[in-house]
Order: sequence, then C-alpha cells, then structure tokens
Amino acid sequence: MTNLNAVDPAAVAQDAHLENADVVIGKSTIIFRRFLRNKTAVAGLVIFLALVVFSFVGNFFTTWDKETIDPFNIGMPPSAEHYLGTSQAGIDLYAMTVEGTRISILIGLIVGLVSVLIAAVYGCTMAYFGGKVDKVMLFVLEALIMMPALLVVAVATSGGGANFKQNLPSWLLLIIVLLIFSWMGTARLIRSLSMSLMQRDFVKAAQYMGVPPRRIVWRHLVPNIGSLLVLDITRGVTGAILAEVAFSFIGIGIKVPDVSLGVLIGAATSQVQTFPWMFWVPLAVMFLLTGSLAMMNDGLRDAFDPSSSSVGKARKTSARKNRAEMKTP
Amino acid sequence: MSSETTTGAFEPTPSTVERLHVAGLHAPTDAVLSVRDLNVRFNSENGVVHAVRGVDFDLLAGKTLGIVGESGSGKSVTSLAIMGLLPPTAEVTGSVRLHGSELLGLSDKAMCAYRGNDLAMVFQDPLSSLTPVYTVGAQIVEALTIHNPAMSKQAKEARAVELLAMVGIPSPKDRLRAFPHEFSGGMRQRVMIAIAIANNPRVLIADEPTTALDVTIQAQVLEVLHTAQEETGAAVVMITHDLGVVAGMADDIMVMYAGKPVETGMVDEIYYNPRMPYTLGLLGAVPRVDVSEKSSLIPIEGIPPNLIHAPTGCSFAPRCPLATDACLEGEPALLPVAGSGPHSAACIKSDSLGQDVDGHEVFSAPPVPVSRFDAIPRNERATVLQLNDVRKHFPLTKGALLKKRIGTVKAVDGLSFDIREGECFSIVGESGSGKTTTLLEIMEFHKDQDGEVVIGGISNKKATDARTKSAMRRELQMVFQDPTGALDPRFTVYEVLAEPLQNAGMDKPAIRKRIMELMKLVGLQPDHVNRFPNQFSGGQRQRIGIARALAVNPKLVVLDEPVSALDVSVQAGVINLLDKLRAELGLSYLLVAHDLSVVRHISNRVAVMYLGKIVEVGEVDRVFDNPRHPYTRALLSAIPVPDPHLERTRERIILKGDLPSPLDAPKGCNFATRCPVFAALPAPKQEKCLTLEPPLEAAGPSSAVQVLEAGSAEPVDQRFACFFPDGELDEEMLVVHDSAEHNAP
Repeated sequence: MTNLNAVDPAAVAQDAHLENADVVIGKSTIIFRRFLRNKTAVAGLVIFLALVVFSFVGNFFTTWDKETIDPFNIGMPPSAEHYLGTSQAGIDLYAMTVEGTRISILIGLIVGLVSVLIAAVYGCTMAYFGGKVDKVMLFVLEALIMMPALLVVAVATSGGGANFKQNLPSWLLLIIVLLIFSWMGTARLIRSLSMSLMQRDFVKAAQYMGVPPRRIVWRHLVPNIGSLLVLDITRGVTGAILAEVAFSFIGIGIKVPDVSLGVLIGAATSQVQTFPWMFWVPLAVMFLLTGSLAMMNDGLRDAFDPSSSSVGKARKTSARKNRAEMKTP
Repeated sequence: MSSETTTGAFEPTPSTVERLHVAGLHAPTDAVLSVRDLNVRFNSENGVVHAVRGVDFDLLAGKTLGIVGESGSGKSVTSLAIMGLLPPTAEVTGSVRLHGSELLGLSDKAMCAYRGNDLAMVFQDPLSSLTPVYTVGAQIVEALTIHNPAMSKQAKEARAVELLAMVGIPSPKDRLRAFPHEFSGGMRQRVMIAIAIANNPRVLIADEPTTALDVTIQAQVLEVLHTAQEETGAAVVMITHDLGVVAGMADDIMVMYAGKPVETGMVDEIYYNPRMPYTLGLLGAVPRVDVSEKSSLIPIEGIPPNLIHAPTGCSFAPRCPLATDACLEGEPALLPVAGSGPHSAACIKSDSLGQDVDGHEVFSAPPVPVSRFDAIPRNERATVLQLNDVRKHFPLTKGALLKKRIGTVKAVDGLSFDIREGECFSIVGESGSGKTTTLLEIMEFHKDQDGEVVIGGISNKKATDARTKSAMRRELQMVFQDPTGALDPRFTVYEVLAEPLQNAGMDKPAIRKRIMELMKLVGLQPDHVNRFPNQFSGGQRQRIGIARALAVNPKLVVLDEPVSALDVSVQAGVINLLDKLRAELGLSYLLVAHDLSVVRHISNRVAVMYLGKIVEVGEVDRVFDNPRHPYTRALLSAIPVPDPHLERTRERIILKGDLPSPLDAPKGCNFATRCPVFAALPAPKQEKCLTLEPPLEAAGPSSAVQVLEAGSAEPVDQRFACFFPDGELDEEMLVVHDSAEHNAP
C-alpha cells in the first residue's frame, strides 16, 4: 500500500477529540438547538401546545356541551356555572370555544400540512420532468390561481354542494375546498427552487447512476427543500386558520351546528356592545393561535437559515465549540 | 527572538527595526508599499479567527511580489486589508505605509482617495466585478472622474480609448460603448486591468487574476499585466495558488501558510532552494507539463489548521513529514537562511534543507503504480468506449413569436475515438471547445443520437429497453468537478455510497460490506460513513465522489475536471489516488481537464479539441513533446511552468483573441482565425486553409520526426488536422521575455 492510506496522527487525534465531544450531530439537532435559543419561538410553541391541549381536554372541566341549551341562562355574562357565559341561544360559551378551537386547529393543521405536501410533490414533479409535463401542469396551476376561491367556497358550502353536504360535515367540506385553493403559490416557489436544484451535480449523478425519476424526486429534491417546506407548513397553518375564520365570519364557511372560532366571532359581532364576552373570548383565542404560530415561524426561519443572526447570540458553551469544529473538520 | 516566545498574537510586539530584521527584506527607504506586522482577526460565532498573523513585506516600484498559498492561508485577506476593503467587523492591526504615509486606521472616505488612484486591484472573477448595466466605457470613465474631477470629458474618453488599446482590446473606440456581457471572460479581465491602471497606480494588487480563465487566455492576461506594469511602473502584488503563474512574473515570493508567511525570498531562491518543507511540498505537488518522466506527485496529507486556536507549535507540524517534538515547542520565527540573497524561512530545520533535498523523499511520495494492462499492446486490449462520428448541433433561433433558425451551433462535430481497457484518455481544449458536451453525449446516451456511442460493447442504437440501458450504465460512472455540489448535503456518506448499490439491487449486508471496502479503497476511514459531506474537506469529498463512481465496479470512469476545484496540495493526493486505482482495478478513464499538466501526468492518450472537433490526438508524450497542430503548440506554450529560469526565457505563442463564436466558424479550418501559422503563410496557401477542411490524419513526413523514427516501422500514434504543421509561426504572436530586463534591480 502507498501512503495514500497512511493515517495522519494529528488527524486521528483530532478525530478522537471530535468523537468524544459528540460532534457528529445531525442537522436536525442543530436546528432544534437554534430554535430553542429563540425565546419568542419557544413561547409561541408553548402557547400553541397549550391551546391544542385545551381544545382536547377542555371539555372535561365543564358539564355543559355545545348542544345543550340552558333555558335559565340565556345571554348571560360569565358566572361560576358558565365560565364564559352563554350565547343568546343559551348554549355554554366555554364548551363552544373549546369545540371551536379544536375545529380551527384541525382545519389549520390538515390544510397546512396537506397543501404543502401536494405543493412539494407537484412542484418537484414539474421541475424534474420539465418540457411538456411542466407546461401542462403549470397551466393547471395558473388556472387554479385565477379561479375565485371565495365564490367556490360560497357555492360549495351552501347551495351547490348539496349532495356532498349530506355526507360530509361542513368543516370537512371547508378543508377540501381550502386545500384545493391553497397549494399553488407554494408549488410555484418549489418548482423554481427544484429547478435550481436540478442543475446541481448530485441530481445529475443520481441520473447517471440510473436511479428512477420517482426516487430522485423523493430522495433528493424533496429533502433538500425541506427547510422551506417546514416554514411553509407553519405559514400554511396560520393562513388556513385565518381563511376559516374569515369565511365563517361572512357566513360561507363552517355552518351551524358545527362551531369554529370564526362562527363564534361572526355571530357575536352584531352585539359587541351588549354581549362583549361573546365577541372578545373567541377573538382572543384566535389571536393566541395565529400569534403563537407567527412567533414559531420566526424562530423556525432563524433555525433553518444558515446565515441567520440567531447563531451570534450563542453562548460560549461546549455546544457552540462543537458546532464550530464540525464546520471545519 | 527565540522560538519559545513566538506564539502568534500573544507575543509582545517587537520594534520595527527588529521586525525588519526578521522579515529579511529590503530596506524600507525606497519602498512604495511597506507592510509591517499586519494582523487581521475576525470575530466569528466560533471564536476569533486570526486570519493573518504578522505579515511583513516591502514592495519596490516596478517589482512584483508573488503571494502563494492554499485557500484559507490568508493571502486574499492580506490584500483586502491593504486596500481597506475588509468589513468593519474585522480587526486590523499593524502598519501599511504607502510612500511613508500610514493607511491603516484611515476612514473609508479617506481611503477612497488612495483606492483606484495609488492603490488598484484586479479581482479574481471578471464576470462579476463589472457592473452589467453600465457600458465598459462608462466604468473606465468613472474611475477617471473620481480621482481627476478637473479632467474634461474628451480627455477622459481619449484616455479610456488609450487604456483599452493598451490592454489589447481590438477597435477600442467602438468597444467603449459595449456592455460587459458583450465581452468574453478574458476580455472583461482586460477591462478590469484597464480600470485598475487608469490612474497610473503605484501599487497594483492582482488577486488570482487568471484563475477563472482558460490557459490561452491566462497567457494573454498575464502578458497584459506585464505590459501594464511596464507602462505604469507600478509595483505588483500577485496573489495566486498556482506556482507556475508567478514563476515568470514575480521578483520576490512570499509563501503563506495558516495566515503567516512561512518562507520569503527571491523567486529563484524559493524555487530552486526551498528551505521550508511546505514550500518543498507545494513545488512537488504540481505536475509538470514539460517533463515526460513519470513520478508520483507529493501529496501533503492533512488539512490546514483551524485559525481559531492560537498554534502552540509550528502550524505546519501536523502535516510535515520532518516534524519532531522540537517543532511543537513554539512557533518558529521567520529567520534569514544562511546562504545567498535575502531569503527567510520559518522552520527550525531550514538549515538542513537545501538544494540537494528531494521533495519526493521528504514527503515519501508513493511509488508509481503499474497497471497489468501496461504490458499488453494497446490494440490487443478490449475497447471499453467507442464513439463513431458523434454530432451534437444546437439550432440557433431568433425571434420571440415566430422562431427563425439563423444558424447552427456545432458543439460537437463528428467526434470519433475509442478507449481501451486500462488506459486514460484525456480531452483538452478551451472552454467552449465542446469537451463538456462530449461528456454529456456519452453520459446521456440514447438511441436517437446523431452518431454511435458504444459502451462496453453495447451500442446506443440498441439501448431501447431499461435493462440494456442499466447494463450500459453499470459500465460507466462519473466523477464531477465540484465535489461539494456532487454530494447531496442531506445524505450521510453511507447513504451516498449506498445509492448506486441499492439501485443495482444489492441486499443490505452486501451493501454494508462493499461500502467498507470502498472507503478503504479511496483512503478514507471506514468509521466516517455516518458523517455528512460538509464534515469533510474538499479532497476527502472528491474521494467520496470517486468511491461512489467505483461502487458498481464500472469499467470506465468519466472524470470531469476532477481536481480543478481542489487546492494544489490536496490535488496531488487525488491524482495519485486516481493513478493507483487505474493500476489496481484496471480502470479506464475519460478525463476532461483544462490543466494540461494534470493531463500529461495521468493520461496515456490525449485529444485536443477545438470548436467541436478533434484537431490532434495521440499518445500523450508524443503529442506534448512534438505537437504538430498549431493549436496544440499554442496551448502547450501557454502553460506556465513552475521554473523561473525556463519561464523567463522560453518563447510563448500568445494567441490573438478568443474562441470564435461557433456561428461564424470559418468554412475551412476552424482555427484559421487565430492560427499563428496561418498568419505567416503566403496568400495561396492561406486560401487552402480557408476553403478546405483539414482531415484528421496520421503524422505525415516531417523531416525531424522521420530521422527520429527511421528505425521503427511501427505506425506512430498521433494524428492531427492541419495542412501546414511545420509552417513558420507569425512573429507577432511570439513573445519572449528578456530575462536580463526582468532581473534588473
């Protein structure tokens, strides 16, 4: 053997040092650490998780549910019996808020996650195949962008979707409609990002090895736009929640008997003066929900962005030194 | 100063006189620029990076200082510190004096009076250093306006024309109104030089001015720099990693390592009498284009130190084969070397090193590997790849709505060659000659191609079903130019290497075993498989790329500029590895490279391409030692050799202009527009060049060759496409540097 394989003693020493210091950490660990360093983002995450927990276990703290009418308390302010008062129909507002929060989070999470997934696959496929496939898929995308989402939602959830409505609850219908109209912007962004990735040598290398296209898209393209996808998921969740609230507010989204934060806010607007608790409570929950997501989004962006300033705030701990050595092994 | 006290930044700063003595350079009296104890520190998230540690030098008018070093050695930071172009976060200490006035510590505004006036800089990348939205003329005039507000508009314009003419841009008056995108890379670099010398600077700093350019263009630009220096009498600081480039130009050399000058001295002293093991290694790591004798290159193992930690010993000790315990005690100071001339080295063993020390022995260069195929005559070996009349023409269209075909770009025009088992076949040529398109045509073979590509005995015409295709793919793998881009950053090394194996349908235990084999084969530690590519150095990444290519046991590996993105010292290691693998595994290579020294070092046969055609092909030593086609001659003469004497005295062919646009390629010989032979031919013979296309034929009867080959009846493996291979060269294109003029004090 030649000295090509000879091992440099200094390098070995350094390696040993690196291994002891547990330097070979995955990128996810680094991202997690950076995220934790952003206090606002952590606060956002805590608020969001608290709301999720609230929406699931909140029901156990009250004996009322969202359908039972309390004929003795109609339009009453908060009291010991009804924590947040009752609506004009005599339904417990606390129970409705819990239910509404759950529906809103559900809509947000499903729409946020699934639309980004659709966008990723659609965008990467367009970029990978290019040519005619790209043209046709781009046309479909443009057509969808130009379709007036508001009208379609209105038609689908009221008159036009009559036969759907029998089988589906209104929140599921809204999810489907929101999904159809929420992925196009992200898909376009992903298309352009993947097109630049396609120029990278590692994609060419995989092609020259004869790796099938499906696998290249899934194993090389999607993970490499992963950071963007995560950001887009949080953004998408916020967007979906806001869209739900907006649609429900103007009365074309979630329909009674289903409740959501938007329905609650919409129902209370006309009597803010007389029944303020009915308006402010769901509004505050909505703010907490979207606000916490926005705070998280900020931290996630810093965590994923390699040139972010959040790194500069790092303490002079061993963790920091580890990372330093990792970058210059 | 004893070596114990020298521990980088923390030593007490000695007096200037003492520093001067240590630097061992010229007296500061007549220096244009004198730099003393320059230190640059950057605050990074990981700690303080001490990028430049105590640089001293004096620059005399009309002299050239070459700063040589690997990337990260602090050479560019030094130049930026002198120019005052470092970001405000950088902490610069020491002294930079221009004609005795201190530059360090001046405000940005105050520095502007010097920058572009007394101090000028030529940057590395000509493509991004000119503003694309202004004409070239406007940018030159801008440089003039800032420092000469009183100059009239006509005078400025006249000066701009004069400058463009000086840097050799044809019809400068018209080109003044051209935008940067209308110029080629070499032309843009000329414009950059024109802007830099616009105000007759006293000091011209050239930061890797030719790294991004082709060899023929590099020769032109170096020539322009030379003229510019003669015209302005400026002192030049030439920063480069290529020891060949500075050999012919520089008067003094400063070798930098880990932010510190480790050896300084007159150019001859450094090249012929290096006293620092690092310099010795660098000189041995560069393959020579003018030497046919085959010897392995010197690989300098390891990586440069992390500049965050102050070195406790010699910073080169971990990579130095001569290092002893004494080397680890304190960083050696730059001390004068016993002997002639101002020459200092920072090595405690500098006295024991000298002219008679062979770098190959010091660095224990591996023995030259011998392939089992070397003994078998070429035509008895099996053919691995064969190209028959492969063409790739791109239609050139114009018009937005109705596309009108206005011409054809013949990227590859009728290429035929074959590669036998165990041989390395190289394609060389300028960028735009069709090298890369040829590779793509081979890698992306399909049955509708124009021409035939036969891989491992299967023709592309038969590649209709997936099975045949994958059988062909398995014979053929590729190593990419940029080792970083070629590896998916989200894959661990294990996943990178597993991909081709999974694709070949191997099961898990077999894959594991094969990956461990591969890691050992390319000289990486097998337990590093769980790391990510960004945790490796450039050279190691390229080794991973090579391992991936070898995973499925291909017969032929296509190497696309495999070492051009690597540092010289690392490059040697990778070239040696490629050499070894070819011998041990009986591989064949198809190498595309612009560095002819590398090509000469590892190839058996070489093809020179020009505008999509092979103009000369044959056995590598024959083509390089006895080039017949004028283009090959020009290409070879353009390569700088790391040998100052040779570099100063040899005659060079400097080709005129750039590669012509494929659109207006001549009807006859493609090369006629730039040919030095054609320019000297009488008119009737020129007519032949312009109308007839010279065929690629075996070497004809040349008197010199005939005498040499008198005894052997064997046909010579060299073919070229030229009617007048032995024609006289046009004198205008020949350049000889007078060595006397260069050595004058």
